[in-house]
Amino acid sequence: MALEDVCSFKERPVQHKWFSFSSLGDAAIPFPKSDYYNLRLETSENNCGVPLHFFIPPLPHSSSFINRPLSSFCPPKNSMTVQRPFRLAHGTTTLGFIFQGGVIAAADTRASAGGLVACPAVHKITPIHSHLVVTSSGSGADCMLWERILIREIRLYQLRHGHRLSIRATAKLLSSMLHPFKGTEMCVALTLCGWDNGPKLIYVCSDGARLQGDVFSVGSGSPYAYGVLDRELRWSLSKGEAISLAREAVFRATHRDAYSGNNVDLFHITAQGWSQRKREDLKEEYYRDKEKKGKKKNDKLK
Amino acid sequence: MATKNPFLTSSSLPTCLPFASSQSVPLPFPMAHGTTTLAFMFQGGVMAAADTRSSCSGLVACPASQKILPIHSHLVGLTSGTSADCALWKRILARELRLYQLRHGRRLSTSGAAKLLSHMLHPFKGTELCVAATLCGKKMNLSGPRLFYVCSDGTRLRGMLFSVGSGSPYAYSILDQGVHWGLSVDEAKSIAREAVYRATYRDAYSGNCVDMYHITSKGWTRRNREDLKEEYYREKERRKHEKTERRDTSLSDSHTQILLEENREDCWTEERW
Repeated sequence: MALEDVCSFKERPVQHKWFSFSSLGDAAIPFPKSDYYNLRLETSENNCGVPLHFFIPPLPHSSSFINRPLSSFCPPKNSMTVQRPFRLAHGTTTLGFIFQGGVIAAADTRASAGGLVACPAVHKITPIHSHLVVTSSGSGADCMLWERILIREIRLYQLRHGHRLSIRATAKLLSSMLHPFKGTEMCVALTLCGWDNGPKLIYVCSDGARLQGDVFSVGSGSPYAYGVLDRELRWSLSKGEAISLAREAVFRATHRDAYSGNNVDLFHITAQGWSQRKREDLKEEYYRDKEKKGKKKNDKLK
Repeated sequence: MATKNPFLTSSSLPTCLPFASSQSVPLPFPMAHGTTTLAFMFQGGVMAAADTRSSCSGLVACPASQKILPIHSHLVGLTSGTSADCALWKRILARELRLYQLRHGRRLSTSGAAKLLSHMLHPFKGTELCVAATLCGKKMNLSGPRLFYVCSDGTRLRGMLFSVGSGSPYAYSILDQGVHWGLSVDEAKSIAREAVYRATYRDAYSGNCVDMYHITSKGWTRRNREDLKEEYYREKERRKHEKTERRDTSLSDSHTQILLEENREDCWTEERW
């Protein structure tokens, strides 16, 4: 896909249903008609200015969008979608923070569907390029798709312009790509953790939020992680301390939150790029912690 | 559905209770117990702490409310849910416990008090009554401290550590890290304070001050109410100081690689593509 784009390969339209601006209704057209990064106005028939080729159901009419109920997870009144069986609450724990040694990204590995643990060994942290890693939260399918789209777009930019897109620009790109889907049931909350002239941490959400910060935690387990992170996080942490802090935060969240658990993945991003720590089963940590508390109790009783 | 509850007929409460399914006005927001209260048991008794903010969906109705209500000299209740309901039920419980003491010549145990409260709240299950109380008590005789969580849903749980309210997840992670049986009193106080502080830091519905009660076999003692604003400013100062430190180091080293540790642990795998 990337190569044919660069070579301006004109593909034959084989049952393509593409994104139609007319279905937006009152919503404003988010991007210009020209192709994104290509400065020459290449208006190919299949490409309506969006580098996407898939079918999108008609977006809700703007009046129902305004009058929708407060809970943003209720489908709009006039759409034919199926009522959600449970409230999507980003059943996960992912976190990222900046310290003097770079950026740490950590996440659990449990994918839940209501009360079922659909998969106990999911990769919630995906590398985009050598200096950018993204942690995902929300609907697993949506996140996987958008990570692939982002990887492709970043690679295309790099091939066309010869340099890598900055993290802030990547976040902006992602945010504007997600924008047409605002109001639909797509649910994606990504934290871009990377390095370009300094550590960067940006949170992008399908609701439209795009925030840069020093510490982010997303998901149902995030309050538990925040408690631990807020307490210990300092700029001057050493690499080992930062890793153990991230690990501890994810562990505490998995301990209390039902939708987080199993293993913990840890990535460390520096000016040299990202490196991944071996996936660790938190079950062992739980038993160690229990033993430690039991030992302390026995010590005190003596 | 007017069940004749012997405890209620003597008071001025209405005898006919609303139907379980009546909900005349839909709730504007899911009642999430906008508060942070916590209590845990340790070798020195029970430590209870709570914030002091009463919120009314976005408005801070009272910045200095009391969420820890002593019931008698050895029993303290932490309340969460609707303030009005909690204040009322605390008074009812205190009255019933006193009546029991006068009739039987001895105090009702904490588990008895929890069971009593649970049974009194049961007829209101399904109505809009919202009370989540944590009863912390220690009897004067040899039995250990007790901690019970009673909710208007009908839950009644006994445990070693409870935290209730919208700020409870933030508090739970701090408590899970630090609480164990062998804590000293000072350590327990500082953990409780830290847990409430962290919850007020992140949660919008918790804040203002922190109240702390320590219950031992001699009764409960109350610590002076502490304004968390001071703590917040101290932390802000520290972070500001850190920021200037960070700016100085990044300016002085043009190559930030110097700050990074060179040693690689064995479990780090270098996967590049």
